[in-house]
Amino acid sequence: MSDYLLEMHNITKDFNGVKAIDGIHLRVRQGECVGLCGENGAGKSTLMKVLSAVYPYGTWSGEILWEGKELKARNIRETEEAGIVIIHQELMMVPHLTVAENIFLGAELRTKAGFIDYDRMNAEAEKLMARLKMTDINVALPVYNYSGGKQQLVEIAKALNKNAKLLILDEPTSALTTSETRTLLNLIKEFKAHGMACVYISHKLEEVAEIADTVTVIRDGTHIGTQPMAELDTNKIITMMVGREMKNLFPREAHTIDEVVFEAKVISCWDVTNPERKVVDNVSFEIRKGEILGMAGLVGAGRTELACKLFGCWPGDHEGKVFLDGKEINIREPRDAVKLGICMVPEDRKRHGIIPLMGVGYNITMSVLKRYTSGGFIQSEVELAEIQNQIIRMKVKTAEPLLPIASLSGGNQQKAVVAKMLLPEPKVLILDEPTRGIDVGAKYEIYKLIFELAKQGVAVLMISSEMPEVLGISDRVLVMCEGKLRGNFVNEGLTQEKVLAAAIGQPITEAA
Amino acid sequence: MTLTKKDVRKFLSEYKIVALLIVIVIIWAFFGYLSYDSDLGGSQFLTPRNFSNLLRQMAITGMLAAAMVFVIVAGEIDLSVGSLLGLLGGIAAVMDVTYSLPLWMTIPVVIIIGLFFGLMVGWLTAYLGIPSFIVTLGGQLAFRGMVLGLTGGITIAPVHEPLKFIGQGYLPELAGDAGGVLLFLVLVFLALRTRMNRQKHNLTVPTMPAEVGRLLFAGVIILGFVLTLNDYQGVPVPVLFLLIILAVFTVIGNKTTFGRHIYAVGSNMEATRLSGVNVAYVKMMVFALMGLMCAFAGLTTTARLAAGTPSAGFGNELDAIASCFIGGTSMRGGVGSVSGALVGAVIMASLDNGMSMQGIDTFWQQIVKGVILVAAVYMDIVSSGNQRN
Repeated sequence: MSDYLLEMHNITKDFNGVKAIDGIHLRVRQGECVGLCGENGAGKSTLMKVLSAVYPYGTWSGEILWEGKELKARNIRETEEAGIVIIHQELMMVPHLTVAENIFLGAELRTKAGFIDYDRMNAEAEKLMARLKMTDINVALPVYNYSGGKQQLVEIAKALNKNAKLLILDEPTSALTTSETRTLLNLIKEFKAHGMACVYISHKLEEVAEIADTVTVIRDGTHIGTQPMAELDTNKIITMMVGREMKNLFPREAHTIDEVVFEAKVISCWDVTNPERKVVDNVSFEIRKGEILGMAGLVGAGRTELACKLFGCWPGDHEGKVFLDGKEINIREPRDAVKLGICMVPEDRKRHGIIPLMGVGYNITMSVLKRYTSGGFIQSEVELAEIQNQIIRMKVKTAEPLLPIASLSGGNQQKAVVAKMLLPEPKVLILDEPTRGIDVGAKYEIYKLIFELAKQGVAVLMISSEMPEVLGISDRVLVMCEGKLRGNFVNEGLTQEKVLAAAIGQPITEAA
Repeated sequence: MTLTKKDVRKFLSEYKIVALLIVIVIIWAFFGYLSYDSDLGGSQFLTPRNFSNLLRQMAITGMLAAAMVFVIVAGEIDLSVGSLLGLLGGIAAVMDVTYSLPLWMTIPVVIIIGLFFGLMVGWLTAYLGIPSFIVTLGGQLAFRGMVLGLTGGITIAPVHEPLKFIGQGYLPELAGDAGGVLLFLVLVFLALRTRMNRQKHNLTVPTMPAEVGRLLFAGVIILGFVLTLNDYQGVPVPVLFLLIILAVFTVIGNKTTFGRHIYAVGSNMEATRLSGVNVAYVKMMVFALMGLMCAFAGLTTTARLAAGTPSAGFGNELDAIASCFIGGTSMRGGVGSVSGALVGAVIMASLDNGMSMQGIDTFWQQIVKGVILVAAVYMDIVSSGNQRN
């Protein structure tokens, strides 16, 4: 018998003749963590869907050996019974059910009379929480009370409850704070020590480098290589992922910074559900023409809320003054902002960015549709011509300009959303986590674009939770912590440590 | 060549309207066969007279369905249109019969009241945030109550000739012919203009034979339509209105920013708002259009019955909503077309008409229509591959 827990051989899966993955191998030993890397659309998710039998046995070719025997699962239930549990990128929690109810969803413990045995369920759930060192969670409270990071851990508790032998984590940290990520990574290390195997899928290569023993890289559906992590570093992984060497992740370009164009003075915002709580607390800042202003901070520091307030879409109470070109402006709705030349690319692309059923092109022109009308009617040809220009300019990869945007990859969707917010020719562009969940190539395009805009004199405010990105792009960095502005640094010799210290609220010596 | 299931599915989802037209042909062939009577010299269903009747019957549902598409595409629903239609028809009857007011006063007043109520429903939904299901359910009750109060629960008759013409009149033969020719010329003009514009912007254009073939096909349909109706008494006035509404609404849906915004709002309201679109205004205006169409449908109903009745329009909202769904409008918003909804209305009217002609009991008619609605939406789900499993 082989010493592998899982062996996937020569897996090929096609959709209508298009091969999504072609001849992929993946092997996992007991107690081993395999990092699975690849750009968006490389076929990672497809491979995991084959493994978890979302695509049942027979719809793909190749062979899966599980504990030495061939696995022919027809549905997720069968793979879960075998001990393969997948934790998806998007959390699959039912917000209004309690933590315990979520953990036992579909496998509720029952009393002899057939009713749900809440006492036993809560007790079991608490035991699981103790194993995860999450003693501060009340398992009888609805899940929505807890942050994304905590929910992620509840998701893992659910997997433990299913006696998982192999845990598949698909981008588990994309919505987590730094400390939550820390907890998760430590937990995985501990599981490994107890013999659990895992497949870790992430764009965050530092995390992969930290916990993976072996790394498998796929590109365009084909197997590029599998190597022990000891022989690799993040740069080598990137090279394998993109097929060429990325010398410079951040294509810095010189640009001149001019006079102040936008000023926010003592902005405060209050929470929607809890109007007593201040989420943005007396924040003032200014931004200059052609300046790239990075905004760092932990998730929940109030950065998105601040951006929403500036763009006119914060639903809760708010106050503060905003000046554009020295004149005070009053923005009540996003359309006021767009008219004045302040545009925002929102953080949550799916919910706030794309109009899923509409064509890519129509998404792009949504903000300035009036421009293509004459006598009240849309001049389709003029509009289409502009759409083609934008698609070429932004390098949006789409088979047809009017293909529904939902069918594109995340990176291409993001490029379209950015294009939509550039067409109004903004003076101030707010980018909220512009590169979240998109692949290295698309990231690079977006960075290039940011510098191009700065050269043209646009003031760019970029909110990002990725420290290297903030430091690699910005001219100046603002740091927020618990709603307050805690740092305003010129990006010269600025270190991650310094930014992080401000972000977690450690006392700092004021710089700049 | 063998047709796989996948090919059929792809065809159906791309040419939804073709699939619906095939359904109509099947229904007509079926009733045509059932109503065949050698003594009377042919099928009683497939006659110019019945064709004319069928179109007149569907005109009212069609008017409502045309605006209902936009309401549903915008992600809302309107359950109040039947009652509002009754109220507006009742107002028309009272003005015409009780006060003998001229038509040029009655029509604008009814239209203004229709727009007012539409705007009110829209404002309550879009600006106050009350779900449209609730607002219009309340409207259904309230408007029906107003009709009963207005008419005192009795039929108000008879209306004067000019009003009757709106619902019962026919276009003179010559006017029908001229209209057909005009429509064809407009189509040719638009095709040529689009072609030139596309070439100007370096976009691909269909080949000339394909273009000519398409136009000829449209010409034959128009010709057949006008000749068939002229063979009976001419194009019915309400059908003419419906065709104009179809044209106007299709242009609104495809060629105006308002139309584009309706689809965007229904697909993702938040993203549309963040793109700088005034989403509340779009939603309110969609309901205003619905109110306008209720006014037209109310006038037509009163004219057709030559009377205002307290039960006018009862249940019409359901026919209109069903027509939209049969015509491929998505429950979840963002997808749907006016032409599809009107084809849906033709299907509903054909079933009504054909079954009545066969002397089938009304209770059976309702059962069949209910089954057809569910089956049609299931077909739509299968063809778009949106099954849950």
